Amino acid sequence: MSALATKLRQLRADAGQTSSIASARSPITVLPERSAAKSKGTSPSTHKTLSPDLRRLLQRHAQLKRGPAYLASNDRDVPGIELSPGLRYTEANVDWLAPPDIVDAAFARMESVHHRRLLHFDTETTGLAGGTGTRAFMIGAADWHDGRFRIRQLTITSMAAETAMLRTFASWLADDTVLVSYNGKCYDSPLLKTRYRLARLPDPLTGLGHLDLLHPVRRHWKGQWENCRLATAERELLGVVREDDLPGSEAPAAWLTYLRGGSARNLRRVLAHNNQDLKSLAGVLLYMARLPHQ
Amino acid sequence: MNALPDRYHAADELVLRSPGDGRSLAQRLNKRYGARITGAFVLPAQEGRYAPLPPDLPPALAQALRSRGVNQLYSHQAEAWTATQTGAHVAVATPTASGKSLCYTLPVISAAMQQHAKALYLFPTKALAQDQVAELLELNNAGELGVKAFTFDGDTPGDARQAIRLHGDIVVSNPDMLHQAILPHHTKWAQFFENLRYVVIDEVHTYRGVFGSHVANVIRRLKRVCAFYGVTPQFILCSATIGNPQQHAEALIEDAVTAIVESGAPAGEKHVLLWNPPVVNPDLGLRASARSQTNRIARLAIKSGLKTLVFAQSRSMVEVLTKYLKDVFDHDPRKPPRIRAYRGGYLPKERRAAERDMRAGSVDGIVSTSALELGVDIGSLDVVVLNGYPGSVAATWQRFGRAGRRQQSALGVLVASSDPLDQYLVRHPEFFQGATPEHARIQPDQPLILLDHIRCAAFELPFAGEEMFGNEVATPWLDVLGEEGVLHREGDRWEWIADSYPAIAVSLRAVADGNFVVVDRTNGRQTIIAEVDYSAAPVTLYEGAIHMIQSVPYQVERLDWDGRKAYVTRTAVDYYTDAIDYTKLKVLDCFDSAGAGRGQAHHGEVHVVRRVPGYKKIRFYTHENIGYGPVNLPDQELHTTAVWWQLSQAVLASAFEDRQQALDGFLGAAYALHIVATVAVMAEARDLQKSVGSGDGAWFVSADLSGRGQLRGSDGQPTALAPDAPFTPTVYLYDAFPGGIGQSEPLFQRREDLVAQSITLIERCDCRAGCPGCVGPILAADEHHGEMDVQTPKALALRVLALLVAL
Repeated sequence: MSALATKLRQLRADAGQTSSIASARSPITVLPERSAAKSKGTSPSTHKTLSPDLRRLLQRHAQLKRGPAYLASNDRDVPGIELSPGLRYTEANVDWLAPPDIVDAAFARMESVHHRRLLHFDTETTGLAGGTGTRAFMIGAADWHDGRFRIRQLTITSMAAETAMLRTFASWLADDTVLVSYNGKCYDSPLLKTRYRLARLPDPLTGLGHLDLLHPVRRHWKGQWENCRLATAERELLGVVREDDLPGSEAPAAWLTYLRGGSARNLRRVLAHNNQDLKSLAGVLLYMARLPHQ
Repeated sequence: MNALPDRYHAADELVLRSPGDGRSLAQRLNKRYGARITGAFVLPAQEGRYAPLPPDLPPALAQALRSRGVNQLYSHQAEAWTATQTGAHVAVATPTASGKSLCYTLPVISAAMQQHAKALYLFPTKALAQDQVAELLELNNAGELGVKAFTFDGDTPGDARQAIRLHGDIVVSNPDMLHQAILPHHTKWAQFFENLRYVVIDEVHTYRGVFGSHVANVIRRLKRVCAFYGVTPQFILCSATIGNPQQHAEALIEDAVTAIVESGAPAGEKHVLLWNPPVVNPDLGLRASARSQTNRIARLAIKSGLKTLVFAQSRSMVEVLTKYLKDVFDHDPRKPPRIRAYRGGYLPKERRAAERDMRAGSVDGIVSTSALELGVDIGSLDVVVLNGYPGSVAATWQRFGRAGRRQQSALGVLVASSDPLDQYLVRHPEFFQGATPEHARIQPDQPLILLDHIRCAAFELPFAGEEMFGNEVATPWLDVLGEEGVLHREGDRWEWIADSYPAIAVSLRAVADGNFVVVDRTNGRQTIIAEVDYSAAPVTLYEGAIHMIQSVPYQVERLDWDGRKAYVTRTAVDYYTDAIDYTKLKVLDCFDSAGAGRGQAHHGEVHVVRRVPGYKKIRFYTHENIGYGPVNLPDQELHTTAVWWQLSQAVLASAFEDRQQALDGFLGAAYALHIVATVAVMAEARDLQKSVGSGDGAWFVSADLSGRGQLRGSDGQPTALAPDAPFTPTVYLYDAFPGGIGQSEPLFQRREDLVAQSITLIERCDCRAGCPGCVGPILAADEHHGEMDVQTPKALALRVLALLVAL
């Protein structure tokens, strides 16, 4: 453990902060902070030099720190083709449901829409905390294309590829696209808008029609089902039973493990999970469109 | 103190028969109570200095000002306008009620009207934010300026937030909201940031110490986010009177500011009295309560037709004093009340009503906590009475500043409580006249605070390259966060990767989230009634402790150390508890040393171990020890900075008959130094701690029941030194904050002054042998020493300090 990290851990323990990392106490011989904060503020944008103590400590720290090797795995296979460095693309065309030309969206209090305009989408993210620190590492989108259900998935294997992923996804959207999602209005869409903003790209989502199935499902079945999650809806309405499904909550860890050089196995399971989510989205949509009007 | 009517009549002869002013009341008090008045001085009246409304003000704004009766500006308001128009950052430090808010209102509204520029206001409290919005709306309505101002705080409903983000010209918030809600969601505020022209930070004197160090880092993050949106907002900061307004403002925003410190607002003459309650027991040094004196002065003032504001230190004291005054002035329920209380914990509606009544002049007496210390507008007052010293000279002046009319003299009275700090100050009137209020200090690069904010900043925007954060290259800190697993490095970029929202875990008002909550379980309740710092918990919340909250005793029944909770119930006991607290210090590194008389003074890093093996039960008033209880808590460890003084064995051998005497002297000296140092660095007494021990941590000294020094070994057990063992007693003052918060260095710089002041403190104390006002409580037996006895704790402490005086 580096000296600065040790030192900080000690200070935090002193302050009563509990840390998940066991604090390893060791004698302190180096003091990082003592002269760092003297008399500042009078000169704008000064480039302060580090105190000798801190510099020494950081040098040692840098020597100690080499990438974590314990995660390294030989299973690094992420499916799909590489559109650009770090951006993988998979496409599957499957026979999945036969949509009517015009999908009745009255159940969602929206106008009827031609199925060609529908784009089902679902993101997999690094977490649920929200704010600017949460990102999507996978965007899945599906539509009926040439009579078949086309499932396209973008996965980034490096942080730097995010911008390319966002650009690609934007290229799939047309002015008359109607998005179909499950809780996308509150979750996926704002999250992507934040990512477009951070990437300094125009936001392609604002202004598009958006059919968020969560709310209509809730209106119909709240209280009847144990909950109104997509997994419940697909089971109740479509009879879908998933095998070897990676729970959505484990998706962040799956990607992180891969990112840090670990196995891609769970990342592939995330792709499968996302794939099924998109199919279920379409299934739930068509099921609800066929419900008698209330 | 009770409200006996005959007591009231005793002083009625002093009531001013004709409409009086502060001066005449001061004269009468002086005449009658001269012995209680330890200091009296007068601040001369000041003529107003004015300037015309600036010609470059938008005409509609000028018209709105005129319609509100503002036909000209005070000179400082005009200076602020000129300075802001040059693009400079501006710091305005003028007294309370000098019209500071116009200094930022004018540039902000002008920019909003002319360039659709946005402004962010930060106030330390929600109440001030709401006041400010009300004021802005009044001005806006007066001129139909079309400027939209909103508060944005924890009470803002979710559906209103979107509208505020998009349409607010002026968003009025607080640093905590900026830290936890705005910056981590800055993309939602994109339009706001893209047009952000001004950041107004009012009451910056409250941003000092830990809080200020956090706020400085929040400002770093704000500037970083602003840079992302391509803007460099101009800062306008306002402060009450502090010793270093410009330096403090520059430390907060880390940029040069133009300081405006000369107020152009007219002010009447102001009289100030320092008041020490009379001694009622000279042996114990016991004085009459501050409460009774405060009540008496306030009553006289109100009866003399003077609008009076009383500041009390706690909410319960506000209620007590209000009751006493209401008993006199509000006994007729058919008449509107003449006395009102004002404090936190009231509903906003109630507070607004109180403020309105005060402004309208229909209230004659107000009793308040520090809630009225800041800029809430309550109109003009004649007399301010402080029931106890507010903790800093700056805050004292700020409270006194509440009294003052343009034409008439005002009076401020500081009534000292029995607290050692109060007693120190009231006996050193020159301290007040010295005219330099405290310096506000911050330490934004305190390692724990810095790491917390680099963490939050990395969440907001990735770090790239050799990016600076404040004065530091961020990289080593990012490495630490990378090891922790919250950041991922790719090339030269550090990206947030964890599924967490770091700002939630960082409180600006504390160094760490280790605070304990005190839960009242009386009669099946489950109410949180207090919060206690992690560092104070072991000495105040052990099981069996009597925990006083606003002088109501609660007993701690259970302490859940890991859950950070203490469960208490109301109790009625005639004793309080006092933790037996052993502190052991070990010097890890010495940064700086200097001679101090025949000894040495040092400044450096120390390792502190604190153990609480038990507690004493002490009866109220008599202070006799009526029992013990054991405490079973883990040792507290702390790495921090300290200043310390040492005398060599040879010097001590020649000055003291035996080692015991030297130890007693060191204990008393530590007590006095701690009082003086607390004042010197504007610290809370608990943030600065004292200890006496050997220089190497081999042994330490604590006061035993008689107030005499007991030597203890490193295991905490009483011990004795072998006659040939080395003997270098050391008195330490340390920063009770992991890593230090920058208090020890200024103390080291002022080391000679501290020793000299400690000597004065002890010499001037009225007690005979020692008391809580100078060298700490002592045993009754010690009081019977002769006046000139050389063995008293007082005399021994003086002897130690004399050896440390610079030659």
